[in-house]
Amino acid sequence: MTNTDNGTNHTTPRPVVRLRGITVRYPGVLANDGVDLDLAAGEIHALMGENGAGKSTLASVLYGARRPDTGTLDLFGAPTRLASPADAIAAGIGMVHQHFMLFPGLTVAENVVYGAEPLHRFGVVDRAAARRAVADLVRRYGLDLDPDALVRDLPVGVRQRVEILKLLHRGARVLILDEPTAVLTPGEADRLFTVLRGLAAEGRAVLLVTHKLGEVLAVSHRVTVLRDGRRTTVLRTEETTAGDLAAAMTGRDLDLDVVHPPGTPGEPVLEVRELTVAGRGTKPAVDAATFTVRAGEIVGIAGVAGNGQAELVAAVVGLRRARSGVVRLRGEEITHAPVADRRRRGLAYLPEDRGEVGAAGQASLADNLAAGFHRGPLLGRFGFLSPTALTRHARRIIDRFRVRTPDTRTPIAALSGGNQQKAVLGRELAHQAPLLVAEQPTRGVDIGAVQAIHAELVAYRDAGHAVLLVSAELSEIRGLSDRVLVCYDGRVVAEWDRDEATEHRIGLAMAGEAG
Amino acid sequence: MTSRTAEATPPAGTARPSRLLRTRGGVVALAVLTGVVVGTLVLAGTGTNPLTAYAALATGAFGPDNLPDTLSYVLPVLGMATALAIPLRAGMVNLGGEGQLVLGAVGALVTGLFSPLPAPLTVVAALLVGTLAGASYAALAALCDSHLGVPLLVSSLLLSYPAISFASYLVRFPLADPGSSLPQSERLPAGVALPTLGAGQISVGLVAVLAVVAAYTVVDRRTPAGYEVRMTGLGARFASYAGIDRPRLTVRVLAASGGIAGLVGAILVLGFPFRFIDGALISPQYTWIGLMAALLAAAHPVGTAVAAFFFAALTSGAFEMERITQAPRELTAIVQALVIIVLATSTGLLRGKGGPR
Repeated sequence: MTNTDNGTNHTTPRPVVRLRGITVRYPGVLANDGVDLDLAAGEIHALMGENGAGKSTLASVLYGARRPDTGTLDLFGAPTRLASPADAIAAGIGMVHQHFMLFPGLTVAENVVYGAEPLHRFGVVDRAAARRAVADLVRRYGLDLDPDALVRDLPVGVRQRVEILKLLHRGARVLILDEPTAVLTPGEADRLFTVLRGLAAEGRAVLLVTHKLGEVLAVSHRVTVLRDGRRTTVLRTEETTAGDLAAAMTGRDLDLDVVHPPGTPGEPVLEVRELTVAGRGTKPAVDAATFTVRAGEIVGIAGVAGNGQAELVAAVVGLRRARSGVVRLRGEEITHAPVADRRRRGLAYLPEDRGEVGAAGQASLADNLAAGFHRGPLLGRFGFLSPTALTRHARRIIDRFRVRTPDTRTPIAALSGGNQQKAVLGRELAHQAPLLVAEQPTRGVDIGAVQAIHAELVAYRDAGHAVLLVSAELSEIRGLSDRVLVCYDGRVVAEWDRDEATEHRIGLAMAGEAG
Repeated sequence: MTSRTAEATPPAGTARPSRLLRTRGGVVALAVLTGVVVGTLVLAGTGTNPLTAYAALATGAFGPDNLPDTLSYVLPVLGMATALAIPLRAGMVNLGGEGQLVLGAVGALVTGLFSPLPAPLTVVAALLVGTLAGASYAALAALCDSHLGVPLLVSSLLLSYPAISFASYLVRFPLADPGSSLPQSERLPAGVALPTLGAGQISVGLVAVLAVVAAYTVVDRRTPAGYEVRMTGLGARFASYAGIDRPRLTVRVLAASGGIAGLVGAILVLGFPFRFIDGALISPQYTWIGLMAALLAAAHPVGTAVAAFFFAALTSGAFEMERITQAPRELTAIVQALVIIVLATSTGLLRGKGGPR
């Protein structure tokens, strides 16, 4: 498994993986259309594209989880057919999925050797050998992991390293990572990149599936860009810029760091005082959070997932009970009010999980857009809901927010992620509620839609509404917020005006370092 | 997320469902076809000519002599199917239909026996009391779910048995027919009966049940309440997010469901033989056949009615088939079960998921 060629000469890469003419067809969608991809030993290769461009499909072809309709794979110079992920693993290809596949109740070592356990005679698992093997790997790659720690006690970033160890233990020479930084702090992401560089230096090939320009530029040697299922370009990273990549992804030149003009704050709309929300154990998920959102301003809450923002929002919108503290909406206390009551008093909410929470996937677009309006403006004579009114209402939102859909009867789950998001945001904005809580408003949305959504949020603020924005994207927080709060470990650890909130300071606060 | 965008990757090893299987109608057609094909094979296996058997089945269901019997069987099956479809529409299962049906019958019986009102008013009162009895008993199961943490599936099913036993006790002891050794109540007083139509074998109860089906259709499609029920069924988390109060909805939906079951029970007692006979509402399997029909149609109002009619006709026609061809009438139960099994597996396939998430 050791590759003696440590000279990482990226100018003349030796192809380890050659995908040629990969075509994958889903019902109604050409997910991959004759895509080529080369991976060389010793390179970190970024595979990027907007949502729906076909990145995940291509990765799953390489991982054996999806057989292409046409196209070939050469692995280490030999034509290969992968019928399943098990084949791929046997052939030396491993993948770290977005959702980790670990047993929380087992130790790091047990998780790493699972499926490829060293055995004693008589087929008994050799635990000591397993521990040794894992400890060796940890040392060799400088991963800083305790083989005996239980996975459930580990933070997300560390769990990811366990996933990588699993692949190394099985001798993977090609590693695929699907959106690996989605769950990491900036600091953790840097550590991951260091590990990846080490793996590449050893002669392994790393395929990094991502849509974040910054990390492509920071870590990759080459980039393959997909758009609408086709490969638009392959670039050497050192010869490219963020603007080039964005153009290759979208076909447009985009101004990536738009900072919108500041708002003009007025009366307080949302007041949160000493709000505490119970967590899983004895430690509260939200610990005495206090802040105010005024009319005409966007207050951004930054933080890595799992630091209490989700619970804070749930308590504000009424989906989770507050243990103590006070929440006031336009001066009236709503701390324990039911959701319907809060909405009536002027709260709209764009949830992080648009598929499960913000919409009923199998319900039609018209039905989804009617939520919250179905007991008011959409009622016709004798209190009946008129289908024409529903359709007209849906059409208004679809046209206003440029939702691309065949018709209003299409199940919302059949739309692309960006269009679902525009539809849900359109519905919530249409309430014209004094307070909008927007959670990860552009997660998994392509760049074109990101700009449209940002512009909508700013316009909503400028119309005199209060916006509470929760996002893990620093650029989003900085681009939109009039004030920035940072959540860490259940507490609001920092509050800055937009001028004071530099990326560096926010990043440190998100990682729990200084305030 | 279950979006069919290019990023969605079906798990390894799952065959892609064909175009046919991507519509509910296609799945239902496949399920019914499978049931019929396997039923034919079983028939042939018993040495019966399937064509003769099916002809007998059709005559048994729709022949001029048999149609009234079929319709009187359609009434409770259709009623129960609609009753059980309503919670199903909200993603909830009411397994206590039998208890609610029997309590409705008992409520109507007691009213009919002891009401001081004139007969026509007594009939109306009996229908109301039966409906209320079923509704409140089902609402009790819902309260167990929302306030005591007993899952509805369990609370509704388990509450069913004491209700059935209570009715059984009543007709054996306090309300027993003194002139008979059978466990049955006294006959209702003369005049306390639902009027009949046509040749006298179809009760206006059938009209009432059809009215219930029509009401369910309108409520489901055209009212805010129906909208909230559908959204709760399609996405429970979405419904709470949108401000729908699930515990309250559960109680209301169950009350509607149990009320209709109780109404069906009352209608049955107010028709021939105008008394409550222990087990008479249980052994014909009205509730379970109705539940199967509702499942088959995914609780869609009109679809449920069509499926209920289909199952009722199948069950009713089976008597004639048994008489003519010696093929056991349980065969139709096999067909019904197969339809449901195929349906369950292919809708699982439709979702493209190998197991729980």
